[in-house]
Amino acid sequence: MNPILVLGGGPAGLSAAAELAALGAEALLVEREAYLGGNPKRWHYSLLAPDLRPAEEILGPLLGRVEGSPKVERRLSTTLTKSERLEKGFRVTLKTADTVETREVSAVVLATGFDHFDSRRKFEYGYGRYPDVIDFKELEGMIHDDKVVRPSDGRAPKRIAWILCVGSRDIQVGNPWCCRLGCVVSIKQAVEIRQKHPEIDAWVYYMDIRTYGLWEDLYWKSMQEYGVKFIRGRIGQVTLAEGGAQLLATGEDTILSRPTEVPFDMIVLASGMEPGTGTKEAAGLFGLPVGPEGFLTPRLSDMNPVDSGSPGVYFAGAATGPKAIPDAVTEGMGAALRAFQYARE
Amino acid sequence: MPIVEKSLVEVDRTEKLEIDGIDVSGEWNTFLRSRVQAHLDVRVSDWVKGQPQGETISRCWQCGTCTAGCCMHTDYGLTEFNPRYFIYLAQVGYEEELRKYATTVWRCVSCNKCVERCPKGVKVEEVIHTIGSYLELTGAAPESPADRFDRAYASNLLERGILDEAALFRTYERLEGRKTPARDLMRMGLALLRSGRLHTGPFAHRTRGWKKMGRVLRENLEADERRRRALAVRAAPPNGGRP
Ligand SMILES: Cc1cc2nc3c(=O)[nH]c(=O)nc-3n(C[C@H](O)[C@H](O)[C@H](O)COP(=O)(O)OP(=O)(O)OC[C@H]3O[C@@H](n4cnc5c(N)ncnc54)[C@H](O)[C@@H]3O)c2cc1C
Ligand code: SF4
Ligand code: SF4
Ligand code: SF4
Repeated sequence: MNPILVLGGGPAGLSAAAELAALGAEALLVEREAYLGGNPKRWHYSLLAPDLRPAEEILGPLLGRVEGSPKVERRLSTTLTKSERLEKGFRVTLKTADTVETREVSAVVLATGFDHFDSRRKFEYGYGRYPDVIDFKELEGMIHDDKVVRPSDGRAPKRIAWILCVGSRDIQVGNPWCCRLGCVVSIKQAVEIRQKHPEIDAWVYYMDIRTYGLWEDLYWKSMQEYGVKFIRGRIGQVTLAEGGAQLLATGEDTILSRPTEVPFDMIVLASGMEPGTGTKEAAGLFGLPVGPEGFLTPRLSDMNPVDSGSPGVYFAGAATGPKAIPDAVTEGMGAALRAFQYARE
Repeated sequence: MPIVEKSLVEVDRTEKLEIDGIDVSGEWNTFLRSRVQAHLDVRVSDWVKGQPQGETISRCWQCGTCTAGCCMHTDYGLTEFNPRYFIYLAQVGYEEELRKYATTVWRCVSCNKCVERCPKGVKVEEVIHTIGSYLELTGAAPESPADRFDRAYASNLLERGILDEAALFRTYERLEGRKTPARDLMRMGLALLRSGRLHTGPFAHRTRGWKKMGRVLRENLEADERRRRALAVRAAPPNGGRP
């Protein structure tokens, strides 16, 4: 049996590769970056929602299983440039900076993940223009290194506001979907900051709070135990306050039914998840349809979210839509199993 | 602020310019108060949360269940009395807006329906009263004649432990900035004298052992006043905390 190609080394791809090895199959794990771990690794996620355990504690064992297994062939800084369907499986071309190589694989798991919405596209929030308007993926790293400071002057902020749904649920940028993680991650960040620095005040501007299922607990705790404040209304624009030392968030408090213009030291944008460039590439290479949102679409997403509908091609993780790590990991397992069954048939 | 036709603006946002009791600001008003809320501060909620009765304020998520069942709001029809709204203003930190409700907030009749129903376990009734205390302590409610009378009464009583009606009258007059005509004063003085209640000045009654009792009372009141002043200093700045 030829190895099974796993494209993408994020949580979903790692899980698929580890599971394939456990099933006794060979996995060829291809990752375009120089490291494994996907977005959580790239942005140095701090504690993970909802259990507030360090990202390393969750990704570590998964990485260990992959890196410690002779069954998983890891190819970093490598991309896929061509794929050709064989009677069983595919012939694929792998490319690195200085090598090109053709390999035969018996099945494919696409775990190419998501890209963060580029917050500059919501120009009214001033991201990229005002240094103290930051993206929440950047805040992850700051919290991780316990260096929550204003990029403009290196000082600790006293008042931070989060703006939810940036680049999500927004037809102006063409992204009508919900990012699923923005609420819980923002709330988690506010909790982490208040835990370590109770002198920093935290406000979250929301339209809805979508901490679905058991995540509700973290939302409740953030209010009760950590005094995070929630204001209903979507901020319309961010400008520099008089003097330029602070930011002014202009919006409507829809509970108050009044315009608000509130100064903050730092504003954090909960930017959404978009189909990654890698995901679009993979769709092209394997001739797969993408949905109106640009994510890969399983043939029967309600019944079997990991089957692409194209024989021998399986999906896992955020490549098919915004998703949390546990879901990405579970899908990695499912896709591994399905790919294994197909390859063995 | 642009010039706006007065009839298009809420009454409480237009300013009058009166000359000899006549409003000369006309149909087009240039003196408009801004509706923009620029102040967001955690002081109220921190204080309320710090009180044993106000602790649960931070749980509220504005579902409105409390107000929906509140007899003052719904049955009595006092729409201005909205426990959910008071909690929001205090919790999120719109102190300026909250201060408008310094008297309304005391209309709660403590039926506790809200407490029974709140899905988040907010002790609404207690929280509302704590918010009221904050507003009272920070001087948000304008002092009424009754409040001033209370003040005069208490200071009078503290002196000797027993009322001195004539002195009470004098103090209250001073606080109100009022002067009763001499003829009326005479008449009242005579009436007090006849009924045997004009024990004032050197003839005033005294309560035995009042010195000690009075001291304890005064100490307590002073502590209260200190607390009040500490809070008053911390009340929201009028410019709305803008930079
Ligand atoms: C700020 C933020 C915080 C988050 N915090 C949490 C949290 O606390 N808890 C939680 O459960 N979830 C969290 N998430 C969600 C989490 O990031 C995702 O669930 C998870 O990353 C999805 O894993 P994935 O493997 O599907 O995708 P990704 O993490 O995106 O990994 C995809 C990988 O594939 C690689 N790749 C893509 N295309 C190609 C290609 N063509 N060739 C080769 N390689 C390719 C990429 O380089 C990447 O390494 C958070 C998300 C955000 C935005
Ligand atoms: S998860 Fe929250 S922040 Fe993200 S789009 Fe949905 S509602 Fe908005
Ligand atoms: S019922 Fe409870 S949670 Fe709902 S608005 Fe009232 S106090 Fe808040
Ligand atoms: S206790 Fe007060 S606030 Fe609560 S329902 Fe009764 S009157 Fe309304």
